[in-house]
This record gives sequence, C-alpha cells and structure tokens, in this order.
Amino acid sequence: MNRRSFLKWSWGAAGLLALVSAIGVSLAAVLRFLMPSVFYEPPQAFKIGTPADFPFGPPTFLVEEKIFVFRDRDKGFSAASAVCTHLGCTVAHFQSDQRFHCPCHGSVFAADGSVQHGPAPRALDWFEVTLSRDGQLRVDKNKVVPPTYRLMV
Amino acid sequence: MNLIREIWQSIVRRDRLSTDKGKSELVFLNVWLHIHPAKVKREHMKFSHTFYLGFITFFLFLILLTTGIALMCYYRPYPPQAYQDMKDLEFVVYMGSFLRAMHRWAAHGMVVCVFLHMCRVFYTGSYKKPRQFNWVVGVVLLLLTLGLSFTGYLLPWDQLAYWAITVGTNIGSYAPLVGGQLRELLLGGHTVGEAALLRFYVLHVAVLPSLLILLTIVHLWRVRKDGGLSRPVWKLKESKLETLVTIGAPAETAALQAQPAVTSKTYGLMEVVTGKPIFETVTPEEEEDTVFSYPYAFVREALALMATVTAIMTISLLFRAPLEELANPAKTPNPAKAPWYFLGLQELVSHSALLGGVVAPALMVVALLAIPYFDRNPSRQLTQRKWALGLFTLFVVVNLVLIVVGTFFRGPGWALVPPWVHVVGGAE
Repeated sequence: MNRRSFLKWSWGAAGLLALVSAIGVSLAAVLRFLMPSVFYEPPQAFKIGTPADFPFGPPTFLVEEKIFVFRDRDKGFSAASAVCTHLGCTVAHFQSDQRFHCPCHGSVFAADGSVQHGPAPRALDWFEVTLSRDGQLRVDKNKVVPPTYRLMV
Repeated sequence: MNLIREIWQSIVRRDRLSTDKGKSELVFLNVWLHIHPAKVKREHMKFSHTFYLGFITFFLFLILLTTGIALMCYYRPYPPQAYQDMKDLEFVVYMGSFLRAMHRWAAHGMVVCVFLHMCRVFYTGSYKKPRQFNWVVGVVLLLLTLGLSFTGYLLPWDQLAYWAITVGTNIGSYAPLVGGQLRELLLGGHTVGEAALLRFYVLHVAVLPSLLILLTIVHLWRVRKDGGLSRPVWKLKESKLETLVTIGAPAETAALQAQPAVTSKTYGLMEVVTGKPIFETVTPEEEEDTVFSYPYAFVREALALMATVTAIMTISLLFRAPLEELANPAKTPNPAKAPWYFLGLQELVSHSALLGGVVAPALMVVALLAIPYFDRNPSRQLTQRKWALGLFTLFVVVNLVLIVVGTFFRGPGWALVPPWVHVVGGAE
C-alpha cells in the first residue's frame, strides 16, 4: 500500500466512522428522549393510615396502591402485592379458601403468595410495612420482604 | 364556451376515451392511475383468481383513514377525557356512533383481509421469483396492521381497552434482557397510564399510518414492476407445439414441428432504460387476451370499492362498536381477553409466557419472512408443492384453532368452558 492509497483509505475509514457514530449517537439520543425522566405515577412508598383503620380477619384491598393489607391478631401487619406475576392482572383474595385467584389466566396463589396453580412464574411479592413517626403505617414497594415478615404494633 | 373547453383541456390533456390512445393516456398521464398498466390481461382480473383481497384491504384502509380523521376531531388522548369523548361520540356527536362503528369494523375487516390476502398469495405461489421481497414487505404490512389495531384498542380507555393492553404489553416484557425496558419505553411508565395512552395515540395516528402508507406504495409499485397481478395458476400449463402432418408420408415418419416465429414481444416503456425488462413480457397468444384498463379493470375496482364500503356501512348500522365501563386498574374483568386476533397468543401465554408469548410468535414471524427464500421449489402448480402447502395449511389451522379456543372456549379464570354453557356470575 503506497502513501496515496493509504491516505485515501484513511479518509474513507474516518468518514465512515464519523457517520456510524453520528447515527449511533442520534439513535441513543432518541431512545433516551423516549425514556421519561420523570414518571408521573403514584409513589412507590406511601402511608396507608393508622393501625386502627385496619380490621382483623379478611385483608383490606387498597385500590390505588394495588396491595392487600393483612392484620393478624397475634402476628401483626403484612402487605401483599395484588399484581399477578404472570401478566399484571389484579388478583382477588377469596375468603373461602384463603387463596389469591387471578382472573386472566387462572393462576392461584396460596395464603403465603406462593404459586399453586397456573402459568404465574413466581410468588406474589410482600412489601415492607413500617410505622412512621406520625403513627401511620407506611408501605414501601421497593422493599420486597419474605412472606413471613410481620410488623407488630 | 371556448374558455371552459380550454380550462378542461388544460386539466385533462388526453385524447377522447373513445379512442385507444385516449384510453392509454388516461392511465399513464395521470399520476394516481399510472400505477395500473394501460392494458391488463383479462384472466388476471378474474374474481376467482385473487378474490380482490388486496384491493379490499386497500379500500378498508381508505375507510379507516377517513373515519379515523373524523374521529380525531372529537377525541382527547388523556385518561378521563378520552372515555368521556367516547361517550360523546356514542351519544352526542352527530353520526359519531356510526363513524366509530365503521372505524372499528373496518379495522377488524382489515386484519382478516390482510391475512386472507397472504393465504391467497401463498396458495397461488405468487411469492416466488422475482416477487420474494414483495412477500417480505407484505409480512411487514401485516405486522403494521396488527400494530395499528393494537394501539387503537387502548384509545377508548374502557375496561376492555385497559386490560387488553395491560396483558398485551406484559407479554412483551417476557422478552429476554430488553423486555422490561421495551415495555417501559412503549408505555412511558411502569403501568398503563396517561403516558401510555398518549404514546399509543401518537403511534396510532402518526407513526404507524405513515409507515403503512410508505410500505404500501412500495408494495404496489413492486407488483406493477413484476408484471402486475401474478398469473393465475391455471394459465401456467406449457403450450404444446403444433405438430404438422406430412400428407402421404408413412405413419412412422417423425412429424415436422412448427416453430413460432416470435416467442415473445417486449414493450419497453422508457427509451432511456436499456436492457430487457423483467416485466411486461407477453407472448403474442397472451396479447390477444389483454384489454384496456379503462374501463375493464377500473369498473371492477370501483365495484370492489363500493361493495367494501357498502358492507362496512351495513355492518356498522346493525352492530355498534363495543364500549364498556371506564377503565378501572383495580378491577380486572374475568376473564380478561386481548383483541381476538391476539387470543391465539394469549392462549399460548396461558401455558407459558416466555415460550408462548415471545419465542413462538417470534419464530412464526421469522418463518413467514423466510418463506420465499427457504422455498426453493420453482413450481407454482399445487400438485408439485405438497410440503409447502401442508406446512402453511398447518400454520393457518393452528392459528385459527388457537384463536377459536381463546375466543369461545375460555371462561372465568381462563377455564375451559364450552360456548353453550352459560356461567352465572363467575368467580368474583
């Protein structure tokens, strides 16, 4: 390769590199643009009220937050996700058999959230419940806890 | 009067339609009509050859475009208002309910017709050389049609819309590595919410229709360049050479054979294009069977257009587009079903989300795209394509069975319930 052809080749390679990187950067910018910087969605950690608001026995379903809050007489508070792990439908808690049933594809979860039947790939999530300073219960969906987790008040 | 004639002649610059030259000029001096050839082969326009499915699909798209623009005048893509606007369209806006029904039924019809068109093209072997790539364009058009239908499904913001899209987009999130982020990108959030509605709206009214129009232009252009509608299979038989008999010669003497003087004749459209074009090559025998597109083809297309519009209008008068209650993220209807053309997919997903929702459909699309390159058999005769026909028929039947099972045989909790059994209340 002589000097002339080397220079020619270098110019071509540099041009191609510039073009490819320009396209790459533009594509990355488009993707970044489409990914929202702020989500205007309900917060993942929220207060749900005072312990006295929740009865013993059947769980309380919180519509907006999509969680079940359980209050057990001697064990305390716990919160389970109401979102089916299969395709995101909202599960229902049946008092009759103490299990969670998903209406979309028939997944059934046991009282501790584990999968008993159907296509769901994993158990329902349980979230951390804490008592905040103002005496309200606080649920943090970012903190997944084992199903044995309980908050004693 | 002279001025009027002058104005008319400045617009329409062809000869009178009573002349052959006028009939030709009508086609190739007109930007909209010149996608047609000036002359068409009579048997290509036979209804039983194509069932006009491509035309009907195109006409349904025109209905969707016009009714869609009309509906946009009364629609705001924002959660509570979107549903109120639907109620307004149904009960307040003059002809709103009718236009919405037309849009809905034409959309379903387009999904059906695109699929049937694909089947027709397959069974007549019309995807074979030189039309391989046009088949690929067609498959992409099918996917765009499904995408348009899916994005449109969310816009009413009722229970049906909300849960179909929740389930549908969650299927996508099972794609390995990128699935979750892909869903977030599509929805503009973690759940189906106001950001998702706006994004689906943008896709539905701007991005996907533009892509569909661009690719349709390519699709039709290539059909034209490859010699128009593909030849009916029944015209593919090799014509036998005539045998001449020498009078008085002994019977065992080999017969003389006549050779046609010209085997083909080529019409070159543009003098600057050199070389023999791959299109517009006809034998003299075939040329006898050609007729001018005006009026032969145009009348048939106009009839197909009128039949399509009439059918959609009639259906829309008889059946209103469904509208359920306002979307409620807390209450999943039981059973929650995706749009019918995705129910086969949902049926698969009910068994395994990754295999049924991602792997199987991806393989299906790849297989469809690869058909013209994988199928090396040059023959278009049905009897010589047993493997191809068998496999494709299996594909069609499996899809239909899955859709029928998902639509009619799935009850509350996705349990198998025959359609003639009425479930009271269901699991609540």
